[in-house]
Amino acid sequence: MNSFEEFFDSGMEESVSPFITQSSKNWGKNLKLKSAGLAALFLSFSFLFSGTFAHLSLLFAYFFAGVPALIAAIENVARFDINIDVLMTLSAFLSILIGSGREGALLLVLFAFSGALEGAVRKKAKSAVSAIKKLTPAKAFVVKKDGTLFEKAVRDIEVGTWIHIKAGEIVPLDGDIVEGSTSLNLIHLTGESAGQTRIVGDSVASGSRNLEGAITIEVMRRMSDSTLQRITDLIIASQEAKPKLERWFDRFSHLYSIVIMSAAVGLALLLPYFFSIPFLGVGASVYRAIAFLIAASPCALVIALPMAYWSAVSACASKGILLKGGAILDALATCKVLATDKTGTLTKGELECLGFLEQEEMRFLSIAYALERNSTHPMANAIVDYAKKRGAPLVSISSFVMHPGYGVEAFFEGKPVFIGNAAFILSKVGQEHEVKIRENLQKIEEEGELSAILAFDQKLCFFRFKDHLRQEIGETIRVLKEECGIKTIMLTGDSQKIAAKTAEASGIETYFSGLSPAEKLHHITEIAAKTPLVMIGDGVNDAPAIARAHVGIAMGKIGSRVAIDASDIVLLNDNFEHLVWLIKKAKKTVAIVRQNLLLAVTAIVLASTLALFGYVPLWAAVIAHEGGTVLVALNAVRLLRR
Amino acid sequence: MNHFEGKDAEAHVKEKKADSISTSAEAHGTEIPGHIQAAADALREGTLFLTLFWLLFFVRGMELGQMFFLMSAFAIGLIIWKTGRAAWLGYFRLERLHRVIEQEKYEIEHHRPQEREELIALYRPKGFEGKLLDDVIDVLMKDEDRLLTVMLEEELGLKLEAYEHPLKQAVGAFLGSFLAALILIGFFWIHPLFGTLIAAFLLLTLGASVAAYYEKNKFLNAVVWNIGLAVLSLGIVYFLIK
Repeated sequence: MNSFEEFFDSGMEESVSPFITQSSKNWGKNLKLKSAGLAALFLSFSFLFSGTFAHLSLLFAYFFAGVPALIAAIENVARFDINIDVLMTLSAFLSILIGSGREGALLLVLFAFSGALEGAVRKKAKSAVSAIKKLTPAKAFVVKKDGTLFEKAVRDIEVGTWIHIKAGEIVPLDGDIVEGSTSLNLIHLTGESAGQTRIVGDSVASGSRNLEGAITIEVMRRMSDSTLQRITDLIIASQEAKPKLERWFDRFSHLYSIVIMSAAVGLALLLPYFFSIPFLGVGASVYRAIAFLIAASPCALVIALPMAYWSAVSACASKGILLKGGAILDALATCKVLATDKTGTLTKGELECLGFLEQEEMRFLSIAYALERNSTHPMANAIVDYAKKRGAPLVSISSFVMHPGYGVEAFFEGKPVFIGNAAFILSKVGQEHEVKIRENLQKIEEEGELSAILAFDQKLCFFRFKDHLRQEIGETIRVLKEECGIKTIMLTGDSQKIAAKTAEASGIETYFSGLSPAEKLHHITEIAAKTPLVMIGDGVNDAPAIARAHVGIAMGKIGSRVAIDASDIVLLNDNFEHLVWLIKKAKKTVAIVRQNLLLAVTAIVLASTLALFGYVPLWAAVIAHEGGTVLVALNAVRLLRR
Repeated sequence: MNHFEGKDAEAHVKEKKADSISTSAEAHGTEIPGHIQAAADALREGTLFLTLFWLLFFVRGMELGQMFFLMSAFAIGLIIWKTGRAAWLGYFRLERLHRVIEQEKYEIEHHRPQEREELIALYRPKGFEGKLLDDVIDVLMKDEDRLLTVMLEEELGLKLEAYEHPLKQAVGAFLGSFLAALILIGFFWIHPLFGTLIAAFLLLTLGASVAAYYEKNKFLNAVVWNIGLAVLSLGIVYFLIK
């Protein structure tokens, strides 16, 4: 069976076309780069040899580098978009008229390489929307009136239909539970790491994972109105509303192209009136205007700026930081506020059992170990890990029964034993324990921790769980503030108490708690309107905010595909502390880009002025011009240092 | 919105099937592996064009050294044209196929009732009726990848993973035209009259045989028809310029 996902996600690239045979798909990979390399090879032949072979080589160089440039330039002109592409292509082809075809081809080859380099960097960015599609199941089991199940496309399921969701499956559509109970993992939707209990009558959101029991829900919204679809819509809207990352260079380049082309036309027409030279012929006004056009082509800008970004991107990659395009560093260098998610970003996103609230008893730990090793709940996993670490022996239990969303019960030494949440334990042990349970739970919550209770033989044991802060968070936030001038704020879906504890521990002064994805987006939009900001997060719930921020950063290991795809930067190893290095690198990149721009403009102005007034022959002007290119390229390479 | 444009599902399916014949049409005429077809095609065309040139120069009594130079120059131009043209034709077809698959995907996502009707129109003539037909349609409708595959293959008659990459086809065309030039000009160098004619005969036989082998056609018919056509073409040119 064919899967068309990769093909459509790639923007229908030929290298993954479903029509092409498997054996010949590789022919279409990196064609831009291969084509630029071939053009460079032929161009070098034209410089190294002379006569017919040199002419033929030049012809091939123009074919491989010139045809794509010509198509792009004509398309731009048709859209009335006079930019650097048009200027470079015009100069390159007009250079043939004054016998400087090699210089023109050099422009085209450099241009083709810069385009291929940028394309290679951008290719790493994938659509966030396609990732969210992968999270959504395409099919669901519909419950017929006679109780039998049949599979149906989620897209075709109407409101009011009953669907059955097994343990471990993703909830495909929003609905209300009509049968069964379970606990749901909502980490991708709300950031909450602990499982949430859901019983008959409760609502469940599409995108949450059913952890334990099988449930049947009545669909309340069609796929087009579901929670996941709303998040998709938010991401699309955020990407469209995102401040355009067009650098000032882009705006400058449009103006520059129009000025240079107008000046060339003006010079061709006016020079004869001022210098008593003819319109046509060697050294005449048209010849000089074309020489001016070639010398003024921003070769250095075209190659040196992408090279600076490419060097910075490479250096970041070697530190485990993936940048989806170099220009993002421009935006990052201007950011004054860092907005961060809590779970999975400041914290590790994994529950750890801290042990008992009161005196630990190995016997009870062994019982909990035996009960929880059959469960898939995050707290159960944490208890099992803890028991193993403490060397608790495994005891034998019988009559094991799981109550999805609540807890489990069994028999040990002929007596019933229970482990689960407070509501479950209260229903089993009687109201006389209510006060003690409430007091202990309050103590645990005040510490920003989570709890589970074991009840056996009239005794209660309270297990504590915590999601730990990552190492060096406090230090990173301090350095960001003191050395980079960046204020950190925290946005989380967690409760106020847990948020306050985390903020205090990590040195964050401003935080917002209990936020839905839409509320996070609202906060980010408000802050972004006042000051440039960078948002870092990991969950689906963070994706709209990540997409909306000036710069979005996702945690690569723990992060959801949706957050990663909505982001501009991915920390592949979840190393939050690398933010300081990254921001310093961004500032250095911007500085080098500006130096390069100055050098390049100086080289262009000198070369074009000298060529215009005939002080130097065209070839000398081009060499001066290309010398500037080499200089700025070498300056850019400094960014490769880690 | 209805994408049947006033027709019923059956008429729509019939029209789509007819459209897809031209969409999937192999650039060189048949459906043998693209690079082989391109090579065989370029071999025969290269041979014919070079022989026509040879004939023109020979009848006009051109000096042999000059003939060799002109034929070689023409051969290089021809090789580049055949190579580039094969790649371009391949890309041209791929672009059409991608347009079709994009349109079909859109229809599956946005016109589901009509797609269901189309499936019924496709499967009813195959003998599916009543509950069995409904079950088949349900199975297909619940899996979008499968549905897209069925619509492409059954409704549009397209083949998946059946076409060689355009650049591979171009390499086939390059090898075919290069072989034609090399052998024909080489034989011309050995003997300007009979060498050229023998080379042309061998190359046309080879090109026709390769195509016939892959198409599982009769060798004798293919070879004789190809050589007959070439002789007719060369003969007309000969008598006209004579």
